[in-house]
Amino acid sequence: MSYLLSVLILLPIIAGIFIYLVPKKFSLYLCIFAQIFEVAISVFCLTKVQQAGMVFNIGGWQPPVGISLYADSFSMSFVMLASFLFFMFVIYNSSRHYVDRMFYMLYLTLQGLIAGIFLLDDLFSIFVLVEVSTIIVSLLIMYKRDSRSMYDGLIYLLINVFSMTFFLLGIVVLYKIVGTFSIRLITEITPQLTDKSTLYFPYALIITSVSLKAALMPLFSWLPKAHGTPSAPSVVSAVLSGLYVKGGVYLFFRITSALSVIDTSTFFLACGIITAVVGFMLAISQTDIKLILSYSTVSQLGIVMLALNLGDEGAVYGGIYHMLSHALFKSALFLCAGIIIEKYETRNVNKIRGVFKTMPVVSIACICAILAVTGAPLFNGAISKYLISHSANSTLTEGVLILINFGTQIYFVKFASIFWGTKKDNIKRTSINRQIVLLVLGVLCLIGGLFGTQIIEMLYSVDVYVELKEYLEKSLIYLVTLSISIALFRLGVTDNKFFDKIRTFDASFNTIALSLPLFFTVLLSYLMFF
Amino acid sequence: MEFIKNYSLGEIAAIIIFFIGIYGVIARRNIVKTVISIGIIESAIILFFVASNEGYTKAPIVKDTLESGNIADPIPQALMITAIVIGVGITAVALTMFINLYHKYGTTNWEKAKNLRDKVQ
Repeated sequence: MSYLLSVLILLPIIAGIFIYLVPKKFSLYLCIFAQIFEVAISVFCLTKVQQAGMVFNIGGWQPPVGISLYADSFSMSFVMLASFLFFMFVIYNSSRHYVDRMFYMLYLTLQGLIAGIFLLDDLFSIFVLVEVSTIIVSLLIMYKRDSRSMYDGLIYLLINVFSMTFFLLGIVVLYKIVGTFSIRLITEITPQLTDKSTLYFPYALIITSVSLKAALMPLFSWLPKAHGTPSAPSVVSAVLSGLYVKGGVYLFFRITSALSVIDTSTFFLACGIITAVVGFMLAISQTDIKLILSYSTVSQLGIVMLALNLGDEGAVYGGIYHMLSHALFKSALFLCAGIIIEKYETRNVNKIRGVFKTMPVVSIACICAILAVTGAPLFNGAISKYLISHSANSTLTEGVLILINFGTQIYFVKFASIFWGTKKDNIKRTSINRQIVLLVLGVLCLIGGLFGTQIIEMLYSVDVYVELKEYLEKSLIYLVTLSISIALFRLGVTDNKFFDKIRTFDASFNTIALSLPLFFTVLLSYLMFF
Repeated sequence: MEFIKNYSLGEIAAIIIFFIGIYGVIARRNIVKTVISIGIIESAIILFFVASNEGYTKAPIVKDTLESGNIADPIPQALMITAIVIGVGITAVALTMFINLYHKYGTTNWEKAKNLRDKVQ
C-alpha cells in the first residue's frame, strides 16, 4: 500500500502534462477528476498512518543509498488539507478568463511538488522540489504579465534561489559529517556524534534558508511582494499564503526535531514573537487589502513559530493545528479579497464600502474567516490559540500572545470596515461555484472550532483538554480586546503618521539579500557562544 | 580556529568562493550581475562537494561509511549533476524573466526598477 505515497506526488504532475496535451474543453473535467482521486488517496493514506508511519523506498533501495518517502500523521494531515484546498480552488477558478491549459499544468505540478515537500524524507530531493516549485510559483505570480508582477516575481525567484544555495551548502556539509541525506537516519545518527560543534555550521546554513521560507522576522520582506502582488490571480495568492508557506514551517519543524541535539528554542521563540509583533504593526499600517492579508500571514506564522519553540507538547499540537486552521481561513480571505477587488476595481480599504449589502454570501464567509483568524470563541483559531497560550507557562508569554491577538483584531477591524455602508449598484452577481467554495471554507472554520479537540485527537491520537472555565476566560479577554480595538479604530489610531512612515518603507533586493547572511551570522554566533 | 582543521584546502577555497558570490548578490545593483553571482555560489557548492575529503587515503567523500577504499561514493557525483542541471534551469528562467522586465522597465538596476514599479504599466 505504501506505493500510494508516490502516487500522491506523481498523479497531479502526470495529470497536468496530460491536460496540456488534450484540447481545452476537456481540461476542467480532467482536472476535477484528478483532484477527486488525489483527495480520495490522501484520505485513505491518512487513515492508514494512524497506526504506524508509512515508508516507501523509491526503487526498492534503503535510505543511506536510496530515496524514501515517509508519512506520519503530521505530514499526511497537511497533504490531505492541501489536496482538499487545491480541489476547492479548481472549482472556484473554473470560469476565469486567464485559466488555460498552461495554467492547469503549472497549478497541478505545484500541487504535486507541495505534496512531495511534505512527504519526502531525503534532504537533497527536498532541495530539488523546492527549487522547481520556486520557478513555478514565480511563473504563476506573473501569469497575467503586467509590469509590477514582473518585478515582484523576479525578486521572489532570486531571493528564494539565493536562500536555497545556503540550504544546499548546508546539506552538503551535513552529508560529510553524517553520511546520509535521510532525515530519519540523521535523527538516529546525530545523538551518537562525540563533537556536536561540527554540526553548528551546517545547522546554521540550513535553518537560515528554511527561516526565509517560513518568513521569520528579518527575512520576510519577499512575502508581501509575492503574496500580495496586485495582479496575481487570487487563487495563486491563496495557495501561496494558505499552503506553500507552510512547507517552510513544516521543514523547520522536521529539521529542528531531527537535529534536536542542538537547542535553539529560545532564539526562535524570540524570533517568533518579534515576527508576530512586526507583522501586525505592518498589517495595521497598510491600506491595500491584499497587503493587509499578506502581513497578517507573517504575523500568524510568528505565532506558529512561537508555539513550536515553547518546548511543550501541547503547544506543538496547538501550533500544528494553527497551521491547518490558518490554511483554511487565510485562503478563504484571499479568495474573498479577490472577488471584492474584481467587483470594486480598487484595493484601497478606505474606498471599498457596502460589501455586505452588495455580496451577502461572500461577506458571511469572509466574516467567518475573520472571526477565525482573530481567535473568536467557537471558531478554529480559538482552539489553536487556546492550546498555545494554555501551554505558555510564563505570564510573559501569555501577555505577549494577548498583545499579538490584540494587534490582529485592530487590523481586521480595519479590514472589516469594508462591510459597512450602502449598497453599490451595477455589480454582477458572484457565480454560484465561487459562493459554494467560500461557504464551505467558512463553515469548515466553524466546524474546526466546534469539534477542534476531537479533530486533534482523531488526527494525532493525543489527548487535549479544553477547560471550560479557562475557555470562557479567554473568550472574555477576546471580547474586551475586541471592543478596545474597535474604539481605537474609531478614534483613528490607524491613520497616524507613524503608520504612514512604516507603510512607505519598501526594501530593495539588495537589502533583502543582505538580511540573509546577517541572520546566518547572528545564528552561528548564537550557537558558538551560548 | 579549531573548526577549520576539519576542512581540506579545496573545501576552504569553495567556502571562500561561496562568500565572494554572496558579496556579489548583496553589493551589486545590476540584475544580470545578481544572476551571475548566484551562478558563482552554485559552482562553489559543487566544488565543495567534489573536493570533500581530498587527501585522505580512503575514497571520497565519506570517511568511514564505505567498506572498500577503492571505490568512490557515487551519491555526490549523481547529486552534483542534478545540482548543475537545476542551476542551468534557474539561470535560464531568471534571464528570461529579466529580459521581460527589461522590455517593460528599460533598466537593469534594482533600485531604478523599484522606483518605477508603481508607475510603469
